Amino acid sequence: MARIFPVRDDEAREAFERLQGVLRATLVHHYLLSEEEAAGAEEDLLVWFLRLARRGSGPQMPAKSMRLALLSATCQYGRSMQLWKLAGKRCADEKLSRTLSRDPEEMAVDLDAGLGKDLE
Amino acid sequence: MTGRIIRFPQPAVLAGEAPASARRILETPMAERAARAEELRIEEPEVLLELAGTLRDRLESAPVLVRDEMEWLYHFVRVPERPIGLFDEREYFLGEFALIAGTACRHLSRRDESRLWFDRAEAGFRHTLNPVADLSRLSYQRLALRIEERQLDVLLELTPSLVQSFRKLGMPEDALKARFLEGLALMETAKLDEAVDVFAEIAREAERLGAAKLLGSAYANLTHIHGMRGDAARAIEASRQAIPVLRRLDDRIALAKVQWGLAVLLRETGQTAASVEAYRAAQADFGQIGMRADVAALNLVIADLLIELGQDGAALQSVLEALPVIQELQMVPEGMAALQLLQESLREQRIDRPALRELHGFFQDLQ
Repeated sequence: MARIFPVRDDEAREAFERLQGVLRATLVHHYLLSEEEAAGAEEDLLVWFLRLARRGSGPQMPAKSMRLALLSATCQYGRSMQLWKLAGKRCADEKLSRTLSRDPEEMAVDLDAGLGKDLE
Repeated sequence: MTGRIIRFPQPAVLAGEAPASARRILETPMAERAARAEELRIEEPEVLLELAGTLRDRLESAPVLVRDEMEWLYHFVRVPERPIGLFDEREYFLGEFALIAGTACRHLSRRDESRLWFDRAEAGFRHTLNPVADLSRLSYQRLALRIEERQLDVLLELTPSLVQSFRKLGMPEDALKARFLEGLALMETAKLDEAVDVFAEIAREAERLGAAKLLGSAYANLTHIHGMRGDAARAIEASRQAIPVLRRLDDRIALAKVQWGLAVLLRETGQTAASVEAYRAAQADFGQIGMRADVAALNLVIADLLIELGQDGAALQSVLEALPVIQELQMVPEGMAALQLLQESLREQRIDRPALRELHGFFQDLQ
């Protein structure tokens, strides 16, 4: 059963840390989560992201695809959390309402496009 | 209200602990696993990830076991619907287990089952975040299945696009792997010079990337092609390059194919008796890993050689062993007429040799 893992843990952790500011801003400013909620989300996102790097296609998946997947997961998390908090009630904040009406993956693509070259 | 996700009461399995947990699961009889799921930590994503990796690595050494394990895991994750992992992980595992099961079935020539697993893999991967890389891996397996169905025109049409997709995705190893299909299609259409160029290029690139599995498999195919041309020096040199790598990886399928290639070489150079022995060695290797279709295919090739050696009785026996498997696995839908002619001749205790040759012609060059 001895198996050599294509370990990308350090690389993935580093990529996550580089994006952490963007993730926090997305959760707090776009999805209006509290700082505490955003910190909890980041813990889960990191665990998930480290495993993403070890999936069947993970060892070869380019950084851009990994980053896009992370942004998608972040948007999905923010959206689900807000919808759960609203519990079916109408959202009073117009900007949040617009954000929630968007597909998280589409939102992630826009966020990715806005990132600077230093995150490439 | 903080909205924090409620944690699973047991601490999560860490990546470092996952190999031991995976080992314990595989050692537990399948019938007992579901009842002991919590104790065995089967629902833990780290453990499932380890199981997927471990069993994927054993596709070439134990395809029967891999297929059975993947089937069990797939159904465990699917029903009842278990809340596995975070975000898209449950769907990823469904897709990955199905992809591995389908690949194992392809190795075992269980094509209908393979197709079903690939459909299941697609259903899983579609619901993951950014699924393009996983769906491209699935496309590769679907195309590889077509080579076994001899749909070479489809293969030659679609392979370049798949290679390009992998390149665009920045997945050079998968791009290289997809080029194998091109090489195999060239072998099948007897364009041996072009096939040599493709596999030699794959070997060079695999060496550069440090992709040992692809390197060994490229040399296995070169052994076969040079064998088909009766080029002893090159065939033996290619086999020398292939064998140590494949042994280290325990890639028993490719090792059996090297043996097959050397048998072809012996046949092409007129060493018929030695060739029969080499084919039988390859056959034994395939038999040990449950590759019944390859065993049956080689039975036909061996029968043909036995006739040449004047051993008609043994040849008859060899064909009789092969035919039920060929029918059961529907190995030659395009060779039904030849199969019927052969069956009719067997009723008269003789072998219709043109029909036999037509039938084994479908297999002998296919690796």
